[in-house]
Amino acid sequence: MVSRWMYISLVILYSFLLGPFIIIFMASFGANANLAFPPQGFTLDWFANVFETSQFIDSFWVSLQLALLSTIVSLVMGMPVAYALTRFQFAGSGLVETIFSAPILVPGLVIGFAMLNFFVLLGDMQVMTGLFIGHTAILFPYSVRVISASLRNLDPYVEDAAVSLGANRLRGFLLVVLPNMQAGIAAAFVLGFITSFNNVPVSLFLSGPGVTTLPVSMLSYLEYYFDPTIAALSTLLVIFTVVLVQTAERVLGLSQFV
Amino acid sequence: MPYLEIHDLTVSYEKNKPTLERFSLHVEQGELLSLLGPSGCGKTTTLRSVAGFIKPDAGQILINDRDYTRLPPNQRDIGLVFQSYALFPHLTVFHNVAFGLRMRRIPKDEVYSRVANALKMVGLEAFADRRPAQLSGGQQQRVALARATVIEPQVLLLDEPLSNLDAGLRVEMRQEIRRLQQQLGITTLYVTHDQVEAMSISDRVVVMNQGEIEQIGRPESIFAAPETVFVADFMGFDNHFTAVVESVRDSKLTVNWGGNPIELRWHSKFGSPQSGARAEIFFRADNASLLAGREASGLAGQVILHTFHGNELQYLVETEVGELSIKQDSASERFAPGEAVTVQAQTQKWIAILEDREQNA
Amino acid sequence: MMIRRPNQNRTIILLVAPAFLFVLVFFVLPLIFLLSQSVLPEEGGFTLQGYLDFFQSRVSRIVYLRTLRLGLIVTGICLVMSYPAAFVLARMPARRRSFLMSLVILPLMTNAVARTFAWLIILGRRGMINQTLLSLDLVENPVRFIFTETAIVLGLAQLFLPLMVLPLVSAMENIPDDVLEAALSLGANRLTTFLRIVVPLSSDGLVLGATLVFTGSVTAFVTPAILGGSRLLLMSTLLRQKAVILFDQHAAAVVAVVMILTTLAVNLLLRVLRAQQS
Repeated sequence: MVSRWMYISLVILYSFLLGPFIIIFMASFGANANLAFPPQGFTLDWFANVFETSQFIDSFWVSLQLALLSTIVSLVMGMPVAYALTRFQFAGSGLVETIFSAPILVPGLVIGFAMLNFFVLLGDMQVMTGLFIGHTAILFPYSVRVISASLRNLDPYVEDAAVSLGANRLRGFLLVVLPNMQAGIAAAFVLGFITSFNNVPVSLFLSGPGVTTLPVSMLSYLEYYFDPTIAALSTLLVIFTVVLVQTAERVLGLSQFV
Repeated sequence: MPYLEIHDLTVSYEKNKPTLERFSLHVEQGELLSLLGPSGCGKTTTLRSVAGFIKPDAGQILINDRDYTRLPPNQRDIGLVFQSYALFPHLTVFHNVAFGLRMRRIPKDEVYSRVANALKMVGLEAFADRRPAQLSGGQQQRVALARATVIEPQVLLLDEPLSNLDAGLRVEMRQEIRRLQQQLGITTLYVTHDQVEAMSISDRVVVMNQGEIEQIGRPESIFAAPETVFVADFMGFDNHFTAVVESVRDSKLTVNWGGNPIELRWHSKFGSPQSGARAEIFFRADNASLLAGREASGLAGQVILHTFHGNELQYLVETEVGELSIKQDSASERFAPGEAVTVQAQTQKWIAILEDREQNA
Repeated sequence: MMIRRPNQNRTIILLVAPAFLFVLVFFVLPLIFLLSQSVLPEEGGFTLQGYLDFFQSRVSRIVYLRTLRLGLIVTGICLVMSYPAAFVLARMPARRRSFLMSLVILPLMTNAVARTFAWLIILGRRGMINQTLLSLDLVENPVRFIFTETAIVLGLAQLFLPLMVLPLVSAMENIPDDVLEAALSLGANRLTTFLRIVVPLSSDGLVLGATLVFTGSVTAFVTPAILGGSRLLLMSTLLRQKAVILFDQHAAAVVAVVMILTTLAVNLLLRVLRAQQS
């Protein structure tokens, strides 16, 4: 059924998907500052520049802390929801599912804008707190969905089996359910982390003076400078992502949850 | 003396729609009792109530004279085998079986010897280090049995334990379960929707329907003498028709069969039937025979279809009481579709059931 | 498989309540507040004037229609690029497929600024395309690609292509080989088999993919901000302009609500289409 010409479509698809990455990669090592193509010479200056630009370093730490914190909180709060959805039949489960998938349906920029206005209404709120709330909210759909998928793969009666053998409900959960969810939790963690770490639209309005996430600071850097520093930073981020995603894919089969 | 007693148990998942209402049952010590019935009849609810996963609205559950009704499930001494086996996927066979002993804080040496012994009883000594996913369905079933019995529970509960196995393995495993149960002398409640399974394995069978007991008794008596239409249908009587009672004499009643009176055993909930009452007649395919042509001694019919089953031929015959299914020895005379035949009743194993209160008062 | 227990409601409430309250207070309430902002300007009572202004203003009408039009074009491009490729991917041996699929996911996991930046290098005044055109003497002066609709479309297509490929591949994976062989054995040629068997059987993935790409495109911010700037506004960049540069929160809220309604309408359409299929 697959004929030769169809492989051409594969080549086109992958050149379009991955070509830009190759170009960024080449540009980050090129000596010319004006991004002329093809790059001339070879230099690591742009990488050095990334580490000398304090706005990148600061915002990297903000993004890292934010991604870790909001991912963990969305997992800790999302896991019981996933458990309820996969283990019980109840009136209102449809509403719960809708509420927890809603943050995916609303445009990120709108979420950020609405939250900013709402926080202003509430009064003084730390920039970091606002970012944390925004990111946690948009991660719920991922946490709930991935954890649910992993719970659906586990026979719900194993908990009853543990209880009938003498464990109480909590021990049954800790000894039997949790060890079997490791892969799902790790997958949800990686997915949540990457989603938060890369987010621009929600962070854009919620970022404030001195507290900015890395992608937002990359965007504002672009408004003033047009040199390969961003290419170098992008190259570093791509390597970081490749390592993270490939590890997750090898170890956990990430793509089955996405 | 009853060992497991259920008194007036009432359970409802939704308000005012009880799945079980004032349900009572006694199981003798060392007995294997089956709860047999279609899905939704309350058999699994009964079993899960005994296990403690369902808190009854009312009623009492006693085991060995101790009140279990309010005891949380993890404090009951009960072995439970699940339809899905519910093995712990992340633990080896050994640790699956050892789980209950660990929870009871049994010393390590004793855990080791008891698990080894339990695995030996189910023939899985060599598989102690495997994970459940590396085992066949039958082997997983054996692990589940070992896990439930190694804690030496007061009562063993099995919830459709064979329904995930294929037909051949099912026969083998039910013998295995029966052997183990008798060896351990353990009081057992066995839930199934499979009539053959219940018949073959049980000391007594309880046929349930819509939360009520239809009939309770030894497998042989339920098989041969169902007392209600529901039980008869469930026991695999191939043929069923309705007839009018002509006369009643002690333990037999008479109905018309192609112009000839035939005498049948009867059962009625409401005392002796009157002539003119409607009786439901049941018989199995091998309790009738076919003669060529129209004979005065039986019921006239016409062959519609025949199918071959090794040493038997099965006929579908159109008669005035409906289509009848009749088995004949393959060595006997054969009939082609369309041929006129006479159906001879062999009434010793036929049964007439009267359920209509109005006509039998 | 679900377990039904009597008296389970307390447990469920305990499990769901914390996250539910979080989403209610920090997500649903802000959206309700946004909605109220769009109909309650700072002075005066309830009015739909904001929406009337939005649809009567030539600029915002142009921006809205441009956003929808570019969204459709991007969806079409993604569809054409993904369809045959997804079929090839779905028919591959599992190992090779999982490697290639991880390459599809990879761009999805890199931030949009990095991915859009590449287009500045490709389309810039001294970018790859202009240098090629100049060296081939096809043009005398560099052509302006950046701040054009073409640039935005290319950037968005590259950004959202994986969202079309993934659902298509998973839909096509579920078509058994037997079904295709049955069609061929009944006398259909490859093209007919593709059009009459593969396309209908993968329509689920197609509808889902198209919805994801379209809603993604009409709400994306980074790509239009970098490749369109303030000269070529889309809804998202218009929202940002009204809120941050013009400080008109009322008008910005209207733009935001129109964006929500647009994505909701598309998702509703998806549900209707899915319900019809099943």
